[in-house]
Amino acid sequence: MTWKSGRTCSTGFVLKNGYKTELLWTGRDFYKILGVSKSASVRDIKKAYRKLALQLHPDRNQDDPTAADKFADLGSAYEVLSDEEKRKQYDAYGEDGLKEGHHGSHNDIFSSFFGDFGFMFGGNRQGQQDRNIPRGNDIVLDLEVTLEEVYSGNFVEVVRNKPVAKEAPGKRKCNCRQEMRTTQLGPGRFQMSQEVVCDECPNIKLVNEERTLEVEIEQGVRDEMEYPFIGEGEPHIDGEPGDLRFRIKVMKHPVFERRGDDLYTNVTISLVEALVGFEMDITHLDGHKVHIVRDKITKPGARVWKKGEGLPNFDNNNIRGSLIVSFDVEFPETQLNDNQKEGVRAILKQASVQKVYNGLQGY
Amino acid sequence: MDNCTGHSHFLLSAFLLTCLFGLSLGTELSFVTCGSVVKLLNVKHNVRLHSHDVRYGSGSGQQSVTGVTTVEDSNSYWSVRGTSGAQCHRGTPIKCGQTIRLTHVNTGRNLHSHYFSSPLSSNQEVSAFGEEGEGDHLDEWTVQCGGAVWQREEAVRFQHASTDALLSITGEQYGRPIHGQREVHAMMGPSQHSLWRAMEGVYMKPSESPLGNKDYSHPLHTEF
Repeated sequence: MTWKSGRTCSTGFVLKNGYKTELLWTGRDFYKILGVSKSASVRDIKKAYRKLALQLHPDRNQDDPTAADKFADLGSAYEVLSDEEKRKQYDAYGEDGLKEGHHGSHNDIFSSFFGDFGFMFGGNRQGQQDRNIPRGNDIVLDLEVTLEEVYSGNFVEVVRNKPVAKEAPGKRKCNCRQEMRTTQLGPGRFQMSQEVVCDECPNIKLVNEERTLEVEIEQGVRDEMEYPFIGEGEPHIDGEPGDLRFRIKVMKHPVFERRGDDLYTNVTISLVEALVGFEMDITHLDGHKVHIVRDKITKPGARVWKKGEGLPNFDNNNIRGSLIVSFDVEFPETQLNDNQKEGVRAILKQASVQKVYNGLQGY
Repeated sequence: MDNCTGHSHFLLSAFLLTCLFGLSLGTELSFVTCGSVVKLLNVKHNVRLHSHDVRYGSGSGQQSVTGVTTVEDSNSYWSVRGTSGAQCHRGTPIKCGQTIRLTHVNTGRNLHSHYFSSPLSSNQEVSAFGEEGEGDHLDEWTVQCGGAVWQREEAVRFQHASTDALLSITGEQYGRPIHGQREVHAMMGPSQHSLWRAMEGVYMKPSESPLGNKDYSHPLHTEF
């Protein structure tokens, strides 16, 4: 079914006759705008928003006259779908069914993912021609992440409390410097003295403010990678604030070891299992089971290579590394009596080896 | 400014509850959590805990720790971390009585104390020690506070785990090259001088990890 304006609405929405919100025709498909399925998790929604916000920002699409509208639609879609209650209402009644009075500033949403001060491409601040503008310090924080988060991705919410420059009444002294003054004491007699000279600037005071930022831990993220938030660093009373950068630090995991996109793990099996075979499951980082079946003899140090069970590649999440499982063997504790020793010789029928060699070779 | 996007009069999702509380501290997060990076204000003397690449000229000769009046100095950030023995997961609230380490963000050294004399007041010297966040057991401090967890609005004390002395400032000031900075030391006996409050910073919210924390305990291998 299509409205006159060309927008479509999907079946399943309850529509009110001719009802129009203050701003728009009803029936925007928020799921389509974000490019996610109806059953998408909050994390998927945040991830989609973050990716699209970078693409659709008007500063980046200056030739496109509809850029601002598309960007606003994106903001509305995120605002509704990321909120549990609003999403429930939207799913049941459509955009129409959402109560009024929730027109937030899209800038707030945007800056909670990227920081203040608009945008940057390629690491340089747009529009900052004059490198003489003083800048506050950057803050670089280590963000510890688990291997589970590297595997599945995650969003970390942080609360940033920082001093913000606010206008205050009156003036203040700024750009203070020393200057030499020459005064004439009499004919032919001069005195040079140093004087402190200041300019007058609008008065500024620093007031602490607080807001939530969202840091995305992308799938496959590597150690030392940084997520910057522009303008969220230290303020500068005469200039611009510095940036806040989160530096990823992947923590050691008790079960899995990371090497690039591959994961390594070790399994200890019994001597019996090593000789007769076994079947087992390894629980992976997101809970799914990796099944291993052996029906031949498993030597100590043997490796099983499971393709596609490693970490997602950072640049292309569809490519995965491998999981490499190394086996070691636990020998029985109890000693064998003479009968059992005979039995073992009979079953295994392995000749005596007793090869003497240098195993260290310089290690 | 907060992340409220409108007037929320109808529903009680966690998101909207924060709007109802308005702009007070504790709107988003009222307690200090592991992994948070904060500035600590000494309440009585109104200066922030600070360190820098300047060593004491006496005592241990280690990196000095001072109190500064500037609000916007990035050298006043300290990372709240667990001890090397007890892992503290990002976002878990710090309990009162818990032992922590405070790591100076810019130099990677831990707030530290030991039996050396502080240069101006001859109290117990407090320094910054270690490399990349790892030092020794003298880096451990116990958070003393009133309730169950370390509330951001609350003035708390930091007791040095090994010597029982409390992190304090009594007002003595340095001359050049760190003119005006206050001496930070540790002394026995609680007083107004040993009260600190968490101020500016980046506070980690408790997050739902993808799977929750699993117990991976296995017997250690001893055959190697």
